[in-house]
Amino acid sequence: MKPVMLKGLLTVYASFKPRQFVAFGLVLLLSWTTIACGGGAEPDKTAQGNKTLTQASTPAKSSSAKGATAIADGKYDVQQATYNDGNGEYTLFLLNTPANTPATFRTTALQMAQLTPEEVTAAQKSYLQVKDGQSALHIPQDFKLEYVHNVVEQAQNPQTGQTEPRVVRQESNFWSPFAGAIAGQVVGQVVGNMLFRPQYYMPPRYQQGGGLFGHGGYGNSYSQASSSYRERYNQAPAVERNRTVYRSTQRSNNGFGSSSTRVNPNNSSNQRSTGKGFGSNSLDSSGSSNNSSYRRSPSSGFGSGRSSGFGSRSGGRRR
Amino acid sequence: MNSWRDRINQFSGRTRYVVCRVFLHLAGDQVAPLLGVLNQAALTADEAEGDMQALGEELVMVCQTLLQSEVYWQSAANEGDAFWDEGEAGNFVNELFTDSAQRYLSQPDLSVAASQTTDPLVVPITRNIIVMLTVAYEGEAPELEADLSNMDALKAGFKALVNLHYQNSLRAVQIHFSPAQLGDELTPDQILVNFPELIPL
Repeated sequence: MKPVMLKGLLTVYASFKPRQFVAFGLVLLLSWTTIACGGGAEPDKTAQGNKTLTQASTPAKSSSAKGATAIADGKYDVQQATYNDGNGEYTLFLLNTPANTPATFRTTALQMAQLTPEEVTAAQKSYLQVKDGQSALHIPQDFKLEYVHNVVEQAQNPQTGQTEPRVVRQESNFWSPFAGAIAGQVVGQVVGNMLFRPQYYMPPRYQQGGGLFGHGGYGNSYSQASSSYRERYNQAPAVERNRTVYRSTQRSNNGFGSSSTRVNPNNSSNQRSTGKGFGSNSLDSSGSSNNSSYRRSPSSGFGSGRSSGFGSRSGGRRR
Repeated sequence: MNSWRDRINQFSGRTRYVVCRVFLHLAGDQVAPLLGVLNQAALTADEAEGDMQALGEELVMVCQTLLQSEVYWQSAANEGDAFWDEGEAGNFVNELFTDSAQRYLSQPDLSVAASQTTDPLVVPITRNIIVMLTVAYEGEAPELEADLSNMDALKAGFKALVNLHYQNSLRAVQIHFSPAQLGDELTPDQILVNFPELIPL
């Protein structure tokens, strides 16, 4: 039976040569279009990449910030600036913004620079320079930012056992980043043209009454400024302290004298042993706007016991 | 892989966040003293009210202690992921905390203890300890972003954790351990039930 069928097939095969040609042609056409599309898509992708570049070249601090507003590149006059040490956000009130741009600009990643002597002689007022999504505030030496100080106390949430910073009240003050010399304080040994180059600055440690002069740390990146602050004050900047959430599974009333509450290991009903855990998280988890739509892609991730890149408990995590 | 996206993000200077968790199971007659180190770390963290710097120092101490007690290493596991979004990384850290915490009892079961006939002079010594370390950091640490279920890789991983602290790139630190204190026991059965991902070293 089989050879006959094969023979039949062969004859069919032979007799439909034109059809075969058509099939081949179709295959060729398809592959060509695929390649062409792929080739065509690539410049597209790079274009997209460039777009992300312009949007995202502000450090992640700003891209993840809740209230950060987007603004087109350009130069804007600044009327007033506010810094909030609760979330590290700068709010700038801009003049002469285009029609469809709001006059307030919020960002957590703002570089600052002093006006150069040439600009001062040219009677240049303070201005905001936005370039490639990176904003830099150029201000005269005596410029005062409004400083909103959050008085924070660490409070334990009785329900979760989580220690979290809680804002008790806000105080208003001012901060003059480049006025260190005026106040006679030796803050920031920044010399020469470094002053006139946009850099990240940390406000100095807060003190009640009287303004804040100079800065607590500076650097080319936010993290450099932050570590420079740490070196000076041996503690994290207020913004970061306010952001850190401490979480612990231990109860404070459970310490000494708890020997009588020991878990009986012979009791088979105990599926779990005792344990303790604690941890701090300074990542801003509320900043993500696409929380609900977020899914960890199966191909990402690393770890032991994963063949295709998902966990050893591949079915274990519910997401 | 989504290397295209990675490359674009890297190119555009976005911050890469990595969240990873390492499990280590230590077994032996002499492991119980480790509980002292771990509890001390918990106490210090509590006193510092969770200051990241203090927690990083505790992490370093715990890592160094673990590296020194390498003869007791029994099994290990790790997992993690890299993020380009701070919020997603933060959510994952919180999720890992909850997941780690549900593997042990944070409060001893009082009903069991009450019915127990206690002999105060005898304290059972645990032969097993499980330590769970979770960190989130900025940048890259190839030693941690790998399969750590063998001795050498795990050693390199702990050293990388120590280095991360001194590079100031840690953004979140969690330390969990079970059992909680001297006198509590962690049985092999409980390990099997609650830590199924552990791989013998």
